[in-house]
Amino acid sequence: MPDEPAPAPDYSEDGVDLSLIRWMLSLTPAERLAVLEQHINDILAIRELNA
Amino acid sequence: MPEGRLIALLRALTEAGVDFIVVGGVAAVLEGAPINTFDVDVVHSRDAANVSRLLHVLDSLDTVFRIQPERCLRPTANHLEGPGHLNLITRYGPLYILGTIGQGLSFNDLMPRSSKMDVGGGVEVRVLNLETLITLKEELAGEKDRAVLPILRRALAEKTARADKPSFPPLP
Repeated sequence: MPDEPAPAPDYSEDGVDLSLIRWMLSLTPAERLAVLEQHINDILAIRELNA
Repeated sequence: MPEGRLIALLRALTEAGVDFIVVGGVAAVLEGAPINTFDVDVVHSRDAANVSRLLHVLDSLDTVFRIQPERCLRPTANHLEGPGHLNLITRYGPLYILGTIGQGLSFNDLMPRSSKMDVGGGVEVRVLNLETLITLKEELAGEKDRAVLPILRRALAEKTARADKPSFPPLP
């Protein structure tokens, strides 16, 4: 039985989360923008709670 | 669900017929790099007709300079015709209007290095490619720019290497 290829690493040698990049690349540009928008809203809401 | 601020800002510029290219952090995200940013950076065409359209839409968005916002200083055609960077605040949040970026690259210089993307809600914008974003960040070499470079480089490498989409569950 042939050896299965090794799974792609989750992190690069310089510590970049490659699984996060792969997930982002699986989204459409519109979905990527929606993710960013949601992060901004969440951060602003937390800031407001702690103001 | 109400429309988000980023998309609302891009929609306002697009619907006003403004010629611009999204650069900076939002462009990186649209290209697939997992980074965070709070502002929209755009390089605009500085021809007179476009400046006039841009000025009109900025006015409709209650745009003022971010420095000393209490003075409510509004950008003028003169500002928008120059190669400099305008740090503005609009009804939909921070906006950088950039006459040129890097080594004096203008809208026309960046056009061939950009592509149109559907960003949702029927809005299509021109976005600078990841290769050029990386080159510009390398030239700037500021601490903030250097910090995101490994992510941008890895995103480009992954993007280039991808043959097929891996199957991830759809967003909720």
